[in-house]
Amino acid sequence: MSADVRILAAEPGCHLFPAEGAEGCGFTAPSTGMFFPDPWIEIPGTAGIDLYLVLLLIALGASLLLWSWFSKKLSLVPGRRQGVGEMFILFIRDQITRPTMGDKGDKFIPLMTGIFTLIVLMNITGLIPGMLPTNSDLSFPAMFALFIFVLTLVIGMRQQGGWGYIRNQIFPPGIPKPIYLLVTPIEFLSVFIIRPLTHALRLFATMFAGSLLLGVFAYGGWYMLSIGAQPALAAVSVLFSGAALIGYLLFFLFEILIMLVQAFIFTLLASLYLNGSIEAAK
Amino acid sequence: MLVELAAANNILQIDPVKFVFGLIALVVVYLFVVRKAVPKVMQVLDERHDAIEGGIERAQKAEAEAEEIRKQYREKLEETHREYAQELEKAKEQRAAIIAEAREEAQVEARRIIEAANAQIEADRRQAFIQLRNEIGSLSTELAGRIVGESLQDSAAQERVVDRFLEELEQNESTKQAEVR
Repeated sequence: MSADVRILAAEPGCHLFPAEGAEGCGFTAPSTGMFFPDPWIEIPGTAGIDLYLVLLLIALGASLLLWSWFSKKLSLVPGRRQGVGEMFILFIRDQITRPTMGDKGDKFIPLMTGIFTLIVLMNITGLIPGMLPTNSDLSFPAMFALFIFVLTLVIGMRQQGGWGYIRNQIFPPGIPKPIYLLVTPIEFLSVFIIRPLTHALRLFATMFAGSLLLGVFAYGGWYMLSIGAQPALAAVSVLFSGAALIGYLLFFLFEILIMLVQAFIFTLLASLYLNGSIEAAK
Repeated sequence: MLVELAAANNILQIDPVKFVFGLIALVVVYLFVVRKAVPKVMQVLDERHDAIEGGIERAQKAEAEAEEIRKQYREKLEETHREYAQELEKAKEQRAAIIAEAREEAQVEARRIIEAANAQIEADRRQAFIQLRNEIGSLSTELAGRIVGESLQDSAAQERVVDRFLEELEQNESTKQAEVR
């Protein structure tokens, strides 16, 4: 079913200037269909086993490889490999957990390291030609966000008591009483609904939009490239698709940045939300 | 057909299969990182921290030790200087004492010698005087005897004559001396 949509998005024989004697056809921009690959194994009620799970497996394998590489044969005097691994963990500690949670956050360093690594590598799969960022399917960001949300609830309620946690969240101290009429519903919405939603959607939307944008440049460039047309038109078409290629490369670099930054933001926010669970416990 | 497409391509749908597999992946990565990677790296970081801190501590200790030794050395040096000065002072005093003692002894000795000499001279003088007197006595007696022509055999008379003679002589001497003055 979704197969036709993909083909629609990438009609290979269709170009801006038709070949002599051929009939022209309009450009079909890549649609959301590109995010719905055909399942190889159908599972009723689900999207089945498809490309995304392979990408997930690649990201998972890369994460495990990366960390077993970083943590093997460690010595007091570090080499380059070990230095980078240590920098990675110190980056998580000094840029993510310490600024948000302080020293108490040190026990979350492994979790944040794991989440950050996995998200980065799941985003990076989008750099493999023809592949997608794994996080461009909402299921994965939603899973991460829900995991963090449940974790904040569990830790918060364990630290501050069931009602205590909710009260600390929706009745922030130090506000004149009448203002609570305004603040409490906002805080409730913010903490229990908007936060986890935006947490997931931010990562998903950037990955989704980014690969869609790259797709438009790639498909557009291919569509405009009309080698078979009259020589003059063919030359113009090469110029057009050259511009598209430059745009593609620029956005490709930009995408790499976005992939890293979004993974960082996701982890930082996760750390910040967790802080709300342990901080008010004082 | 359109409705079906829209339903199939809903980008906001959450696929349970992907959700579950994603969760499994997250748990696997987390377990791997929390069991193997992070503790090992952290341990090495801590060890290095300890090593560096230990090195600094050792250096500080060595420095303190060196400082201590230097202080001891300086104290010893000062003490030696002081002792030397004391010894010198003592030696000077001793020298002065010895000189004084020697001088005193010498003075005493000199006085003793002078006294002995004086006594000797006195004794000699007295002896000479007595001898002279005796000789003068016998000479004058003999002379008188010769002159008088009679031998004064009575020794008592001899002595008397001599004594008188001498007294006169002494008186003459003293009057002479007075006159000289």
